Amino acid sequence: MSSRWIRLLAALLAMSTALTGCYNSRELNELAIVSGIGIDLVPGKQEYKVSFQIVNPNSTPTTVSPGSGLPAIIVISATDDTVFGALRKASKRATRQLFFAHAQMVAIGEPLARQGINHVFDIFERSHELRLNSAVLVARDTSAEALLKLLSPIESISTLGIVNKVRNTSNVWGENRTIDVFEIISEIAGVGEITVNGLRIPGDPEEGSKKSSLEQSGFKGGNIMSGLAVLKDGKLIGWMDGSEARGTQWVLNRINETSVNVDVPGSSAKAAVNIFHSRTNVKVKLIEEVPVFHVSIHEEGIVNEAGGFIDFSIKETRDQLEEELKARTIEEVRQAVERAQGMKSDIFNFGNELKRTHPQDWEKVKDRWDSVFAKGKLDLHVESYIRSTGMRTKTYTNPEQ
Amino acid sequence: MPIRKAANKPEGNGDRGKQSPLSAALEDTVEQVRSRLGNSPDLVIRNYKSIINEVPIAALYINAITDKNLVDAFVEQAMAFEFPGEGVAIPSAPEDIYSYMKDKAVSTGKEKVIEDLNSLLEALLSGDTVLLVDGIAEALSGMTSGGESRAISEAATQVSIRGSKEAFTEGLGTNIALVRRRIKSPDLWLETMTVGRVTRTDMTMMYMHGLADEGAVQNLRDKLKAIDADSILESGYIEQLLEENRFSPFPTLYNTERPDSVAGNLLEGRIALLIDGTPFALILPATFFVFMHTVEDYYQRYDISTMIRVLRLICLVISLFGPAIFVAALNFHQEMIPTPLLINLASQREGVPFPTFIEALMMEFTFEIIREAGIRMPSPIGQTVSIIGGLVLGQAAVQAGIVSPAMVIVVSLTGICSFTTPAFNMALSIRVLRFGIMFAGAFMGLYGIAIVGLMLVAHMCSLRSLGVPYMSPIAPFAPGDQKDVLVRIPLHFMKTRPRLTRNKQGKRQPGPDAS
Repeated sequence: MSSRWIRLLAALLAMSTALTGCYNSRELNELAIVSGIGIDLVPGKQEYKVSFQIVNPNSTPTTVSPGSGLPAIIVISATDDTVFGALRKASKRATRQLFFAHAQMVAIGEPLARQGINHVFDIFERSHELRLNSAVLVARDTSAEALLKLLSPIESISTLGIVNKVRNTSNVWGENRTIDVFEIISEIAGVGEITVNGLRIPGDPEEGSKKSSLEQSGFKGGNIMSGLAVLKDGKLIGWMDGSEARGTQWVLNRINETSVNVDVPGSSAKAAVNIFHSRTNVKVKLIEEVPVFHVSIHEEGIVNEAGGFIDFSIKETRDQLEEELKARTIEEVRQAVERAQGMKSDIFNFGNELKRTHPQDWEKVKDRWDSVFAKGKLDLHVESYIRSTGMRTKTYTNPEQ
Repeated sequence: MPIRKAANKPEGNGDRGKQSPLSAALEDTVEQVRSRLGNSPDLVIRNYKSIINEVPIAALYINAITDKNLVDAFVEQAMAFEFPGEGVAIPSAPEDIYSYMKDKAVSTGKEKVIEDLNSLLEALLSGDTVLLVDGIAEALSGMTSGGESRAISEAATQVSIRGSKEAFTEGLGTNIALVRRRIKSPDLWLETMTVGRVTRTDMTMMYMHGLADEGAVQNLRDKLKAIDADSILESGYIEQLLEENRFSPFPTLYNTERPDSVAGNLLEGRIALLIDGTPFALILPATFFVFMHTVEDYYQRYDISTMIRVLRLICLVISLFGPAIFVAALNFHQEMIPTPLLINLASQREGVPFPTFIEALMMEFTFEIIREAGIRMPSPIGQTVSIIGGLVLGQAAVQAGIVSPAMVIVVSLTGICSFTTPAFNMALSIRVLRFGIMFAGAFMGLYGIAIVGLMLVAHMCSLRSLGVPYMSPIAPFAPGDQKDVLVRIPLHFMKTRPRLTRNKQGKRQPGPDAS
């Protein structure tokens, strides 16, 4: 009995040896850890120029030795008809085997984004070497390669910094959200359109990739989050900036925390309201071939700064401020929706919502959804609450001042 | 405290095993003894003559293993002659003198009569004094064993912060007394036997009558009787001879030098074996978790004990799998490591000329060398070893770029963790197994570690110690016994004894059991 079980167990174990995935023994110092991938279009040709940001372990500040003083990252590129081809061709440049499992982000050059990215991401799903959870960004007005080459002063691996930046700014400012390869692929496969975070180089890209640019306290290099790229059928058709971008996140219910400046009642001064809770509900109905987008937003905020005298102990003042906040929110959302309708690009996934809730209506309009969407009506309800006025009520100044 | 030996056997023991009766002539007997002992200088032969009739009498004993005072007292007691009152015949024939001496000696309560040479030799070598009377083919022996022995001192291998500071010594009698003092119950039963054809080592089996499983006691008794070895120098001999699975790396007998540990185990229905000449008592049946517990678990509060038990198990896992998982993660599963940590590790490994596995093996090997050297070195030099080992090898190896600092951390952590296992023999097994698992991790990654781990668990579940499954009460699962395995519940609620020792009296305290 027991020996039979042992034999069975042995057989099962033996079988499982054949069923495991691939694995490979690789020493850490035979690998080039790729921290970022950039994909650009070779001008005039249908070829990809794929750039890899590689970590140089010799010069990371964690070493016991003082480090070689070289930049912590190195960028190498290769061009080929396919992304994978470029991946492999890069072995002609790199001294070690490229290791992609830790690629933090995938940057798309703007020219490539304008041409269309629908087919770029196939390799990310198909190949086991690449990851689906890398963040995706569009290099605005520049190439992805230039973006990867930029040195950054605090995060020696700049892509780690970029990923942190996207996460932080999404959390506290709300114009962006983290978008990874998996999300892009599911959006491309779905009905709606996509917005992708944009990243711009404010200074000189050439200077920013030199180590001398780091040796100053007034750092001029680096990159800056810059709007949302609107992709229609995988092609970049426009950028949404500032309040349009935030309005988009508002409709998508992606606002975690943000700051809204509202007019102080009876004064030209502004008050800063920190929105710490926001919830958006979206319903889409088709009424006589015209879609109506019922968007209701519930937001709660704290006054964190008052630029002029406000007496918050008076209920009317608070009510007025809430009204102001509501008006600002409506304004931003309206701007975003109008802009998207102008581009005939349903970046809010209203189409998916209609398809999910009213499939019959969706069948009627799905072939010309772009134009139907553009004619849609926005029915916006915002509930704004100011929950707290911070650690004091009245401002320390007098009303006369 | 001398022990009365069970008068069962010198059956067939010894190569000169023929029953040769003693000769009546004193000279002959003495000469026989002397020649059998190879004219050994420590054989002392005192010649006396009886007061009446001057019958030659000889007292024989072996010098260093006897207590001089006891020898003198015994001889004096046996030979002192009081004139009887008027009208009573004064013993004058050798027979009469002998029987008179016998009666006198009997009153000491420590004598016996010997009729053959082998028994005489055995008595002599156990430290007895033998009295021979010329013309009598019998000898009187008295228990006079003594001589130098180590005093009771603190336990060296099983130190506890709280709890008894007494540890067993090499003397069997002392050790039995130490246990007896802790369990003053008539149910503490002892059986003494002699093992070892040449060494004739005394051994005592102890158990609580009514608590220990009778079948297990009988089983053990049979096994002990079946032992046929010429020498038993330490309890380790018995341990190895009793082991059911000879090729298992895991110990199935627990050894301790703490009398309180023995007492505690006896009260849970286990059986203890005390062997003369070693401070290490054996306890069986011993399951895996017995090796992970200490007496102090019961002396400290339950919450603290529970935490420490869990900590010990975590440390056991680290010391078994630590380096293997590190090597596997670095060689096979780089994607599993968080990016900043991976970059950190990569920068540490930069310039290290060896593969991770070789690096790990080298460091583990070095660590084992230092550990072994530390044990064998005379203690004043031991410090030097730790300095050379820790500073020179650890620090310099890292600075020279031969090994990465992370590897030093992993190996040291593993080493320290292995010292938390309370039972040294279990820690040794884990130490050996670690290398096997490291190989598996280096060749097949986490997959290999999982396979070897699975095999290990299967093997452990198949082991038995005196009929009790090794992994009990986890496998087979005994819900009632969980109170004292990973956690230790408060003593108030610990009302039943562990079930798997099959003891009859389940209750420790009145009232229903909480668990």
